[in-house]
Amino acid sequence: MNGLTYTIPPAIAILAILWFLLRPQSPAAKKTSGPLGDFKAGNPVLMHYRFFPQIRQALSEVDDNYLGEAAPPQVARQARRERRAIARHFLGGLREDFSNLEQMGRMIAAMSPVVNRRQETERFLLGLKFQFICALVWLRLYTGKMPIDQIQYLTGVLGRLAARMEQAMTEINALSAQQPAGRVSV
Amino acid sequence: MTHYELFLATYMKGFDILLFVLVYSRHLQRRLPFFAVYATTILVTNLGTTFVYAYFGFRTSISFYAAWIAITATLLTRSFAIAELCSDILAGYRGIWALTWRVLGLLTVAFLVDAAIDAQGQPHWIQAYGLTLERDIEIASVVILIAMLLVGAYYRLPLDPLQRSLVTGLCLFCVIQIVNTTVFRNFFTQYISSWTTGQSQLNLMNNVWNTVYIAASSLCIGLWCYALRKPLPEPVQAPVLLPAGLYQELSPELNLQLRSFNDRLLELLKS
Repeated sequence: MNGLTYTIPPAIAILAILWFLLRPQSPAAKKTSGPLGDFKAGNPVLMHYRFFPQIRQALSEVDDNYLGEAAPPQVARQARRERRAIARHFLGGLREDFSNLEQMGRMIAAMSPVVNRRQETERFLLGLKFQFICALVWLRLYTGKMPIDQIQYLTGVLGRLAARMEQAMTEINALSAQQPAGRVSV
Repeated sequence: MTHYELFLATYMKGFDILLFVLVYSRHLQRRLPFFAVYATTILVTNLGTTFVYAYFGFRTSISFYAAWIAITATLLTRSFAIAELCSDILAGYRGIWALTWRVLGLLTVAFLVDAAIDAQGQPHWIQAYGLTLERDIEIASVVILIAMLLVGAYYRLPLDPLQRSLVTGLCLFCVIQIVNTTVFRNFFTQYISSWTTGQSQLNLMNNVWNTVYIAASSLCIGLWCYALRKPLPEPVQAPVLLPAGLYQELSPELNLQLRSFNDRLLELLKS
């Protein structure tokens, strides 16, 4: 029929977006919703980077060399596969830490009376760029080897921020204690 | 007026009256005055056109113009209600509102200009012109509502159940109407340009358009009535905002670290 073929697919796409944006939330999600969200619940902003010493131990080059010399080739291969899987999981954790930081930036913007357009645009683009690069790094970890000192540097960047952000969170939580409760999030 | 059209008109009036009563009994006009005006306009235009149809006949030029005046008034008040809803959801967050209202305003202007240009290209028949304008304004309404929801989701701004129902109803109605109006407009422009379609087919299409319009209206008014079935909770206080200095201090620092994290990841990829 006239126009139906080219109006129905966009209409379905719009309704899907609408459903995604307005979908009902679980009671647990409602409790931690709003700009302060998870931060208000007392969770640390950055969590996974703290486990880097253990990860470093698990991925150390000395261990890898020892495995290559002492273990049968099949066992060494299996061990390397598992080590790469650990690195990928850790990268997933760092990704979560990055997202938390980004979310914290949005929360501070939402609760601020003045917001800088350039800062917000930059953070939005940084988030997009991060997701893209992270996917490529994950692929690289999946297919090959990633030097441990590079991951250590990434962890260090997050670590430097952690203490400062947690201090800021204490300040924000104190101010937001007066926040009205009972509204649900988008 | 056929029995079918009479049935549709009566059925719709029932819904409109229910919405009108609920809006004023819940004192929604205090919180969302433009939405209350919109609900009133729906009822008044429906009653007015019914009166005109009954008095002057259904297929007369007076009825024709009355119907178009009703559509224009409804579109106008709905547009104001949408703007008010955006403000109701975002304005409490002053920084975000200052950032987004211009974007939403620009989007509105862009879509209105596009609607005017699109309608200008139509044959000089009020139906084709009006239908094009109506469809484009509905597209603009959906885009603005979705942009506002995206901003809200990005910053995790809260949305209360009433706001959620109003947005859902408005979006559903506009989306269904976009499809409905596009199909009818295409049929109509084809009809007036070639005169190959018979009057009976035009009447049939008109009935289909009316039925879909009534179904879409019932769906969204039903949603709003459901949301208004219980007294509204006390108005939520404006959120307590942080000192402006905190954002100015933390935001650049945060972005710097995120940027260095990204740069390092990029180096890692290149190495």
